[in-house]
Amino acid sequence: MTTPALATRSRSAVWRRQFLLQGCWNYEGMQNVGFAYAILPALRDFYANRPEEALKAVKRHLEFFNTQPAMGALILGASVRLEERVAAGEADPRAIGTFKVGLMGSLGAIGDSFFWGALRPMASVAGALLALLHPLLGIAAMLLVYNGVHLTLRRRGFAAGMEGPEGVVGWLKRAALNVRTDDGKLLAAILAGAYAGVFAGRFFVQGGNTLHALASLLLAAAAVHLFAVLFRKAVSPSEILSFLLFVGVLILWR
Amino acid sequence: MAWRFLLAILLGGVCYLDRTAACQLMLHRPLVVATLMGAVFGNMAAGAQVGIVLELIYLARLPVGASIPPDDTGAAVFGGSAAAVASSSIGLDAGSFTALLLLSVLVAEAGKAADRFVRKVNVRIARLTAESVDRGDVQAVEHGLLAGLTLFAVTGMVLTLAFSGAGVAVSAELLPRFGPASRGNFAILLPALPLLGAASVYSCSRTERTAAVFFLTMAAVFGGTLLFRWSA
Repeated sequence: MTTPALATRSRSAVWRRQFLLQGCWNYEGMQNVGFAYAILPALRDFYANRPEEALKAVKRHLEFFNTQPAMGALILGASVRLEERVAAGEADPRAIGTFKVGLMGSLGAIGDSFFWGALRPMASVAGALLALLHPLLGIAAMLLVYNGVHLTLRRRGFAAGMEGPEGVVGWLKRAALNVRTDDGKLLAAILAGAYAGVFAGRFFVQGGNTLHALASLLLAAAAVHLFAVLFRKAVSPSEILSFLLFVGVLILWR
Repeated sequence: MAWRFLLAILLGGVCYLDRTAACQLMLHRPLVVATLMGAVFGNMAAGAQVGIVLELIYLARLPVGASIPPDDTGAAVFGGSAAAVASSSIGLDAGSFTALLLLSVLVAEAGKAADRFVRKVNVRIARLTAESVDRGDVQAVEHGLLAGLTLFAVTGMVLTLAFSGAGVAVSAELLPRFGPASRGNFAILLPALPLLGAASVYSCSRTERTAAVFFLTMAAVFGGTLLFRWSA
C-alpha cells in the first residue's frame, strides 16, 4: 500500500500545533484533545482518500494522554512517523497506543524533573536577581534562559521523533537530560543562595557590628532551613503564607 | 481607569493562556505579570518589586500530573496592580508591601479553584468532542480544542478583572484605613517572604550538593553585601 508522504506544510502545522497540547486539558483524558488536534494535519495527509481509517486514527489519539508538555514534542514526532507506517500497512495500529503509553510516563517524569525542577527555578531566580537592577532586564533574562533551552529541546525532540521510535532512544541518550537536570538544579541552588544572601543583607543588617551580622545570617539560614523542612513535610507555600497573614492580623489587632 | 482595566484584561488573558493552554513560554510568571500590571496601573517598578518576591514563592509546587499549583499568575495580577495603586496614593511602604504579598495568597487559592473548575468543564468538552468524532466528524477535534482554549482565555480575563479590581480596591480603600504606624508593624514579617522564596527553590532543586552550595553562596553574598555597605 502506498501512503502519501507528509507534506512540508503539514509537518509545520503539526510542529506549530504542539504548542496547544494542553489547550483542552481535562481531568479525564488530560492532553488527549490537544494531542489529536496536533497530529490531525499528518493524519489528513496519510489517510487522504480513506475517511474510515482517518476516523479510526483520530479516535486512537483521543485516548488518555499526559506528559510534560515540552516532552510531548518527542512523542508527537514519533507518533507521526508510526502513523505513516500504519497507513502504509507496515505496522499494527495498536503499536501506536502502546508506544505512547509506554513513553508518556517516563518522559513526563524526566521532563517534570528537568523543566519544573531545574530549568524553571534557575531561570526564575536569575530573572528575579537581575530584576533588582532593572525589571525589564530580569524579565528578558528569565525568558531567554528558559525559552532558549525549552524551544531548542522541543525542536530537537520533534526532529528526533520524526526519525521514528528508534530516533527517540538515541536522542534521549544524547540529550543526557538527567545530567543536565543535576547541573541545572545545582545552578538554581547557587542562584537561590545568592538571592537569599542579597535579601538577608538587605533586611537583617541594621546594627553594623560583625556579631550582629553573623547572628542575622544564621537567623536567615535557619529560616530557609525551617521552610525547606516544612516543604518536605508537604506543607504548601500557601499554608505558610496564610499562617504569616494570620500572624500579621494578630499584630494589627494588638 | 477603565482603559487600564481593559488593557489589564487583554494582557491577563494572554498570560493566563500561556499558563496552561498554550505555549508555556513563561509569560505567566509572577515577575512578568506583576511588572506588566504595575506598568498598566501606573508604576512598573512597584509591580516588579512584588513580582521579584512572588516569582519564587510557589516554585516548590510543581504542576505534575493532575495536581494544580496555586495560581501565582493571579497573585501577581493582584499584587502588581495593588502595589502600583498604593505607590501613587499612600506610598508603598514596607508594611503595605508585606500586606499585599500576604493577601495575595487568598487570590492564589481562588485562582486555583477557578483552574480546577475550567478543567472540569473541559471534561464535558472532551466528551462531546469524542462523541462527535464517533459520529464521523473529524473536525470536531479542532472545534473542541478551540472551545477549550476559549474557556481558558475567558476565565483568565475574568480572573484578571476580578484580581486587579481587588488589588485596586485593597490599595485605595483597605490599606489607607490603617495608619502608617499600624502598617509599619506589619513590616516585621517582610524578611520571611524572600527567604520563603529561596527555600522554595532550595527544596525543588535538591541534589546531594544543594545544601552546601546554597548556604555557602548565601554566606558569601551576604558577606559581600556587608563589605559593600561598610566600605560605602
